[in-house]
Amino acid sequence: MVTETKRRKVAPLPPADRPYICLGLEGSANKFGAGIISHSPGLNGSTTDVVKVLSNVRHTYVTPPGQGFLPADTARHHQQWALTIIRKAVEDARIEMKDVDVVAYTKGPGMGGPLQSVALVARTISMLYDIPLVGVNHCVGHIEMGRHITASHNPIILYVSGGNTQVIAYSQQKYRIFGETLDIAVGNCLDRFARVVGLPNDPAPGYNIEQSAKGGTRLLPLPYATKGMDISLTGLLSATEGYTHDKRFIGPLASKTLEEQQKYKEEGEDVITTEDLCFTLQETAFAMLVEITERAMAHVGSADVLIVGGVGCNERLQQMMGIMASERGGRVFATDESFCIDNGIMIAQAGLLAYRMGQRTPIEKSTVTQRYRTDAVHVTWRA
Amino acid sequence: MSQTSPTLQLIERAELIKQGAEARVYKLPVYFPEPSIRWPSKLRKLAEETPQASSSTQSSSPTPLLLKHRFPKTYRHPHLDSLLTRQRIQSESRSLLRCLKAGITVPLLRMVDVEAGMVGMEWIDGWSVREVLGGGAEGEEADPELEDEGEVDEEKARRRKEAEGALASLGITIEQLMTSIGKTLSTLHLAQIIHGDLTTSNMMLRPAPTRSAGYEIVLIDFGLSSHSNVPENLAVDLYVLERAFASTHPTSERWYQGVLDAYAKGLGEKKWALVGGRLDEVRLRGRKRDMIG
Repeated sequence: MVTETKRRKVAPLPPADRPYICLGLEGSANKFGAGIISHSPGLNGSTTDVVKVLSNVRHTYVTPPGQGFLPADTARHHQQWALTIIRKAVEDARIEMKDVDVVAYTKGPGMGGPLQSVALVARTISMLYDIPLVGVNHCVGHIEMGRHITASHNPIILYVSGGNTQVIAYSQQKYRIFGETLDIAVGNCLDRFARVVGLPNDPAPGYNIEQSAKGGTRLLPLPYATKGMDISLTGLLSATEGYTHDKRFIGPLASKTLEEQQKYKEEGEDVITTEDLCFTLQETAFAMLVEITERAMAHVGSADVLIVGGVGCNERLQQMMGIMASERGGRVFATDESFCIDNGIMIAQAGLLAYRMGQRTPIEKSTVTQRYRTDAVHVTWRA
Repeated sequence: MSQTSPTLQLIERAELIKQGAEARVYKLPVYFPEPSIRWPSKLRKLAEETPQASSSTQSSSPTPLLLKHRFPKTYRHPHLDSLLTRQRIQSESRSLLRCLKAGITVPLLRMVDVEAGMVGMEWIDGWSVREVLGGGAEGEEADPELEDEGEVDEEKARRRKEAEGALASLGITIEQLMTSIGKTLSTLHLAQIIHGDLTTSNMMLRPAPTRSAGYEIVLIDFGLSSHSNVPENLAVDLYVLERAFASTHPTSERWYQGVLDAYAKGLGEKKWALVGGRLDEVRLRGRKRDMIG
């Protein structure tokens, strides 16, 4: 009944009258991605469009352990890889550039240099092939892709990545931010801690923390800062860093010989390992995230949660969220790393929705912006 | 934590009202079960002669009790969970008492069981300010709790109607309500209590039982409260409310201004200068956060 009443509200997006193809370009952080998506009319006269991912190609700029990615270097990476990736995306999709109806690019938020590089590529393609442009909000891209992949209709959205941490609910053609981080993003917190303890950035620092955390055995006390529906993470990061200066800190347990490991275990020696810290950091930070998500659910009266963004592929986070949601009689929707982590296809999806609603970004307005709030976008395609 | 905990047994007789983010809230119709009284033999005779005397206090006014059970959150690490539950029960109970001393109307604390995660308090017979203001944006979202139980639907509709008519029946305007809220909050902050989760759902409106004023604002849900007098914390507390107003009642900016004006007046010029200035900074802070992703 719930879905019925919701569906009854007709979305303003008309059913596709012909196949639409969109090329999406993403490069707001250290990944350059190109993706091609198509929306075709439903089969046998169905009004539900057939959405098909034709290709989804990505290349990540990986820095050595202990180093983050700097804007200038990242921009250079995107410039080097753009053509190769786009060409591969077009080949994989088995289409020609002339088949593309619209080019969507990330307008923001993100790092200035990388965004500019990608926008330049988008503009060039647009003029070269005479294809209209649409600028897309990166966060809305994540949300629309997550909604499509998981077919969750109107969930509470937890958007967690290297640069964003927001709890979002849709209302009246806006994605409204209910809660967010007051300082750094959760992905940033994890990345920076990975740098402190020298975990590699390949494939991703967050992934390596997740693996390391599996070996953690003790939960150390850390500050727990939820403020209403907002959270604060810098204190958490400093406190975890503080433990690495503790006398009891012995580095990664995995680097010790088996004999030493056995000794620590048997003698019950009071030691802190990298694994313990990763475990503690994850448990505490994710507990805060799940808590504010639950708050938003209780406040709005929604039962379903959609997790998007790079940190969203962390399985422990998905598990914790799953337990919370099932206690409330709801469900959790999450995607795998091909859609969670920044990619071109999500930009294409959001861009194509906007394009079909008649939105265009004229070339002279095809700028980028480092700060572009999720709730600044007018979501014309939803009721 | 076992089932034998006497406070947990209370739940079995109680009715589940709602599952909030923090806890399950129950309504216990009668405070005490039928008491079995054992009198010293000397007094028994006397007691039997006047049977009403022993139980008159409670049978004449069976005040319902609100039970708030912070059940273990299994998604959290058990250590973290018990630590947080303990902290929040303590801060909630302390703040409730502190509020009472400061003359702020809050539910009276009846019992605390930290081990079981249970707090019992006075049942407030009234409406949340959110209900009174008409709920705003959420009203249009289908409520999953409604499902297909027509009865519940009717009950809710009746309640909603009643809540929306509450202002009229109490003879007050929205502006007056906002002024009262602002005044209450200034008293709260002057008593150095930070609520930590101010929303329109966490304020209730009820007809005053004793006073001539006609109505009173009751603040509830002090689980995230703390004790502080730093302008920063006061300002953040207000900012949380500001955001809650904006997201729950999208067209309410004018109302919220009424709250702020009354708050400023209640706080006094000198202190408001500090808190208000800080509030402007905090507002920018919330907006700022939108960078790379």
